Amino acid sequence: MTIQKTSMTRRRFGQLATAGIAALTARPAMAQAGTVSFMSFTYAEEPNKPHVQKLLDGFAAAGGKVEAIGSAWGDMQKNILLRQRSRTLPTTAQIQERWMPSLATLPDIVNLDDILGRAKLEAAIDPKILAMGRVNGKTVGLPLITGSVGMVANKEVLAKAGVEVPETLADFKKALIAIRDKVPNSVPYAPATKNVNSIPLDFMIMVWAHGGRIIDETGKVLINSDAGRATLAFMTELMKDRLIAPELDRPDSRRLFGQGACGFYADPPQARGFARAFSGRGEAADAFVLPIKTPVLKAGDTPHSIQWGHLVSAFKGPMMDGPDSPGAKWLNYLISDAAQGTFPPSLSALPVTRSAQALPVVTKDAFFSNWKVASGTPLINEIGIWSNAPELSTILSEEFQAAVLGQKPSDAAIAAMASRMEASMAKRG
Amino acid sequence: MTNSATPATTGTSAATLRVSPLAERGGLKARERRVGWFFLIPALAAFALVILFPFLRALALAFTRSDLQTPEPVFIGLDNFRTILNSPEILGSFVTTAIYVTAVTAGTLVLGLAWALILNQPFRGQKALRALSLIPWVLPSTVTAFIWGWIFNSRFGVLNAVLVSAGAIPFPTAWLSTPGGAMTAIVITKIWFSIPLFMSFFLAGLQSLDREQIEAARVDGAGNIDVLRDHILPHLKPVLLVVIVLGVIGNLQHFDTIYALTGGGPVRATSTLSIEVYRRAFDQWDIGMASAVGLLWVATIMPAAYFYLRQLLKGV
Repeated sequence: MTIQKTSMTRRRFGQLATAGIAALTARPAMAQAGTVSFMSFTYAEEPNKPHVQKLLDGFAAAGGKVEAIGSAWGDMQKNILLRQRSRTLPTTAQIQERWMPSLATLPDIVNLDDILGRAKLEAAIDPKILAMGRVNGKTVGLPLITGSVGMVANKEVLAKAGVEVPETLADFKKALIAIRDKVPNSVPYAPATKNVNSIPLDFMIMVWAHGGRIIDETGKVLINSDAGRATLAFMTELMKDRLIAPELDRPDSRRLFGQGACGFYADPPQARGFARAFSGRGEAADAFVLPIKTPVLKAGDTPHSIQWGHLVSAFKGPMMDGPDSPGAKWLNYLISDAAQGTFPPSLSALPVTRSAQALPVVTKDAFFSNWKVASGTPLINEIGIWSNAPELSTILSEEFQAAVLGQKPSDAAIAAMASRMEASMAKRG
Repeated sequence: MTNSATPATTGTSAATLRVSPLAERGGLKARERRVGWFFLIPALAAFALVILFPFLRALALAFTRSDLQTPEPVFIGLDNFRTILNSPEILGSFVTTAIYVTAVTAGTLVLGLAWALILNQPFRGQKALRALSLIPWVLPSTVTAFIWGWIFNSRFGVLNAVLVSAGAIPFPTAWLSTPGGAMTAIVITKIWFSIPLFMSFFLAGLQSLDREQIEAARVDGAGNIDVLRDHILPHLKPVLLVVIVLGVIGNLQHFDTIYALTGGGPVRATSTLSIEVYRRAFDQWDIGMASAVGLLWVATIMPAAYFYLRQLLKGV
């Protein structure tokens, strides 16, 4: 009798364990039924979280259900790739435009032409903006906000230093020296010098300003040129003269700028939003945020900025299984006037749809008009378009740091940068 | 009576002999073993799932190309290891790791022992100081990294503030932006929060030291250095061995404060093997290469781990 009771208990234990495991695995799916998930780095940024929340609330008011998952910008790619491996991808995720070629290789990424319709997308969004999310003929990212990475100046800092907005690189350096000497404890110009993911943007802008290129559209590495060498020598001089600072990443530059401790730095139009948050002055900060043309080598040269934007990618799953799925409704909402007329302007960025760009909230905002004039001709990110962009960014940043921190002559660093990039491009095939 | 006879009395083999219907096969010892294995199952399952399976998978990935361009791993034999041998950057990580492990282990050993000797002396507030000494060890390591990050910060750091105000340097220095400065910073940080652990080991060892023997040596004219060399260190030898081996293993594995303080930079000045693996895997998404470097990293830990386990099993 005892034996029988024991074997029954074991069997029951097995049954209970199986039922428990089944319940545990089924529970998340049941809890999330009908809810679209949206992994977002803007949601993880405290100053911008309320703007994303308004977007989610707007979708909820329209009858949808979406749950936001915050993930820091620096961890976003890692989270998506790890979730792909563990098959736990969210329904949708916010993507930086330069990550698109790398993430387009994910097996579970959805071609949005099949979900939203290519004709509809082309009718709503300018092809140049839509191109940010197109890889190999497929739309794998839906543009959410757009703009360009260009130079901004702090008018109050310039006034303290008694300098005007510089047009050429020579004037730029003179302005930086004046700021260093007249604004104590300031970083006159605050390019990223620490984070391998941030350094390439600042360096690229300066290479273009010197009339050079890093990699052309065929994949040929061009950085080992007079312009490339001149750029790195220029940046190294700035570091030596304490006109730029080591240990800076973009968030540090934003804080310095907002707190009046930096004259110039490069950022998307979101710079205004960050200045509002970090100055503690709200919209009053708008008075000192001045978009400027990137200084050029010779007066009359064309200034350039970098094409920039945030996109939303979708991943395979029950929430994204067709044009009528909850996920498709969420994506459609993101490009509606209700969303585009509020969310991008709240981040001081431009909307992506033609109709929203014509809304008064955009056309009557002087900041956007100034930005458009100042950004000159935005060019495509020369590093970000390649699927081996992470490796190229690391190479560029390591050699840049080696030169500006005095570990290597700038010419040697440029030569090493070129040869390592060529090897990376060759490996890529 | 014959019908009710037990099997033993009827000559049935011992193998089928059952004393009672409740008796277990193989006797009580076997039953205990089975129960033991049953209780081990959760731990074994967790070990297999969390350690063994990922390790074997990483082992297999080390022989593949697995990156963003080839999401499905492709077998490439020893190519990753050939690349490592020809890569001055990766080979440099082995040198960086050796410098870091040696400096941290030696520094912690000396300072941990010195602090234990101080706290072993009878003085007022000794117990409170012993308790306070554990604070660096109790703090989360990322908090420790941020504390030291702010101390060494080029613009707002305490170190710069003190040196500039004392007139030692004309303007703030970016300590974390020079290879020597960054390495010094990560070594100091690790030593700072490792001292309490080493100190605790030594303090425990010192409790069994024969004080009369020390007093006798002092009566014979032995100085502090003599007492340390001839009495304390020999007494602490078993503890020293374990502490050194544990320290080497821990420092070879260390990642968080290095990553939080310098991210492996400037350039690659503090890129130890742990940082190298992380950057290969999560900055460049070269999982195959990261696994290969990881495998070699494990190989560097194995001798120390073997020595430690041997010491441990000797004591059993």
